[in-house]
Amino acid sequence: MKSTFLSVLALAVISTATAQDHGGHMGGMKSNLPTMPADMPRWINSPGADHLFYKAAPYNWAINRIPAFARDMYGTGVGHAMAYETLVTGRKDQLETRIFDSINRVLQNPPRNPVDEVALSPTFFRKYGYLEKVFDWAHILHFQTIDVFTHPGWTDAQKEAEIEKLWQFYSAQPYAITGLPMNMEYLDSFPYSMRFRTNYPKVNALFWGYHWLQTVNYDMLFRVPVQDQAAQYEVLGAQYRTTELYKIRDFMPMTAEMSPRFAKRFPMIANAFDNLHMLHDNVNDILASDELSESQKRDQVKIAIYRVLASTHVDEEPGSGEDAPGTLHDHRHAPSTPGMGYMKGMEDDVMFMSGMGWMDMSACAHCSIPLPDGPMWGATVTADGWTMMVRCLMCARDMAAETPGRAIIRAATEDPSKILILISDEEGNLTSNIPGVVFLEEFGEHPECSAWSRAFTSKAAFEQFQKGNPEMKEAKPLSLEAWVQLNQGTPETYRKIDKPNPYKSDGANGGGK
Amino acid sequence: MRTRLVILGVLVAGSAFATDHNNIDSGRPLRFDDAYSIAFRERAIELGLKFDTFRRSSPSYGLKAEYKVGFAKNQDIGIGFEPSYSTSDRRGDVGNVELSYFNGLRREIDNTPALAYRVDVGLPTGRGSRGADVRFRGIVTKTVGQYDRLHLNLDLTTSTQKTAGERQATAGLTVGYTKPLGYPTQFDRTLVAQFGIDQSRDTSRGWVGNVGLGIRQQMGVRSVLDFGIEADVFSSKGRNPAGLRFAVGYSVGF
Repeated sequence: MKSTFLSVLALAVISTATAQDHGGHMGGMKSNLPTMPADMPRWINSPGADHLFYKAAPYNWAINRIPAFARDMYGTGVGHAMAYETLVTGRKDQLETRIFDSINRVLQNPPRNPVDEVALSPTFFRKYGYLEKVFDWAHILHFQTIDVFTHPGWTDAQKEAEIEKLWQFYSAQPYAITGLPMNMEYLDSFPYSMRFRTNYPKVNALFWGYHWLQTVNYDMLFRVPVQDQAAQYEVLGAQYRTTELYKIRDFMPMTAEMSPRFAKRFPMIANAFDNLHMLHDNVNDILASDELSESQKRDQVKIAIYRVLASTHVDEEPGSGEDAPGTLHDHRHAPSTPGMGYMKGMEDDVMFMSGMGWMDMSACAHCSIPLPDGPMWGATVTADGWTMMVRCLMCARDMAAETPGRAIIRAATEDPSKILILISDEEGNLTSNIPGVVFLEEFGEHPECSAWSRAFTSKAAFEQFQKGNPEMKEAKPLSLEAWVQLNQGTPETYRKIDKPNPYKSDGANGGGK
Repeated sequence: MRTRLVILGVLVAGSAFATDHNNIDSGRPLRFDDAYSIAFRERAIELGLKFDTFRRSSPSYGLKAEYKVGFAKNQDIGIGFEPSYSTSDRRGDVGNVELSYFNGLRREIDNTPALAYRVDVGLPTGRGSRGADVRFRGIVTKTVGQYDRLHLNLDLTTSTQKTAGERQATAGLTVGYTKPLGYPTQFDRTLVAQFGIDQSRDTSRGWVGNVGLGIRQQMGVRSVLDFGIEADVFSSKGRNPAGLRFAVGYSVGF
């Protein structure tokens, strides 16, 4: 039956197959190019479209509860698709001009519905269809995790259990990207690496700008009541559209940088997103490398996929790889941050963050005192495109006040189920998602700041805390209006890490906040 | 029996991402398919309404409801129902039940087109229907230019029960054309067009040529509204071609 059908089709096909590979010169890269592994998964050569549907669930497309966020996310489907199509159709000269304008126009006027990337880049996907399977499947994970967090009616525990299930659902397919931390310096060390960001910095800024959006949103949503999510996006969306899309960065935004709380809870997902984004960068670089022949480009894209597939790292553990640093199987991570692989120049918890300089991720970004271990957390501050963890409310407030522009403070209260969201305007005035919030601030030694600088959901909760902590019995509950007037300045414990920027060859100082 | 042919030709279960405006199902709104199944684990419902025809004083109305499941990678099955009402007869008909199977053999790779086939079985549940119809359709999809696509559908249809004056088997060929509209600023609309020739089951008639034009408009993340118009434009022998057919439909995936 099948053979008869194929015979009929053979007469009817519109055009016959011809190889796309026109050969090409072997550039100077040849000797250093990664070689095809012997255990390349068989699916990569499968001719089927193999489209997969997302997990059926009541939360699907709950992202639309925050319309501006949903539209910005839908717009992100356009950028790489347009750029890839441009590169494979020989129009690279238009990338930084006409194509930049086209992508930018869509990102600034995003669509109301998701965009079919294959339809936008048909030539690219005819050549690299196997890549679509990896991208699509990871993008589905992206959207479904967001949908879970934006879904009303579920407890945080239910949502986190569902995220775990989604990860299993995702990991069951051969196209799944590993959730292990990967050495980012290694993944960015090939002969073609950095080609795209060097030759096409404006378009690359758009890509990394929306990778910022795709990673910063998780702390906006994680353990945040759905009614408190949209207000944060007013700040983040404006930052995204006015600044982040055009920022020239040293390196792509990492999930644990932008959403540290989420990355601590779901390190495997944070790692998978970073590995996905690095795969995007690898593909950008390969396509932008004119020295590579068509055949070499195809091989290198396959090898780049292979590097980040879960099937390449079976039975390997997070943190392993000390015996093979800087290789494919280097899965070390910063001790405090299992959701991020080793970065260029990283030493234990000290890493270089684009725009912030060298930071110790195990310490409060404001007072440099180590963050407490375990689930207890103080607060995070999101401002000017970065997100930092701090030990206490005082550090959060003062750090936000030091930073121009609007800020979001997310902080623990005495009730683990109630997160405090403070959003500042341009003048530093704060609004709270908890109307009756009161604060404790009995200024003392910084190493104990998380004990004497806290937030409570009500005055009654404050008084209950005092009963269990007699040393605070004289403290007065501070209203938001009174508390925001305080400012203790830069703590004397703060230590700036002064080292050169590892991404600059001229020894430029790493700077700092 | 001719009624059943129309059902098979226009309203059988479709292919591709039923709920993406870029992916084309037969009947939604024209009669051709592209070479892609719905996604593995996707379920889709398609609802359609057709009017046939504007020229007559007493048109008939048909409703189509179809349910599809992507039960494996590149494969889906479907069941469709088509109740109808004829204003001339002043009565309705539950219509036939259509079962379908779609298999996407390969995606488009380099210059080689995407290939698929589908098998549809029309069960004689409608008033006056006898025997089952089986249609085999081969499908080729090929990109032309930057974004436009051509879809070649080759049909072979046979019936388990033939009466005098009917052909045992018939053939048909449809060339479909799809063009996304609005690029690079809008991404939610596709123009569809077709030209087809179908061999009539009625031996007194020969080949009937038809043309069609329509739009698929994305409405929500997984829903598409479509509308289209078809007309028979020539007949190689026998009576003149029939008039216009108008179809509007709504598809949703979940």
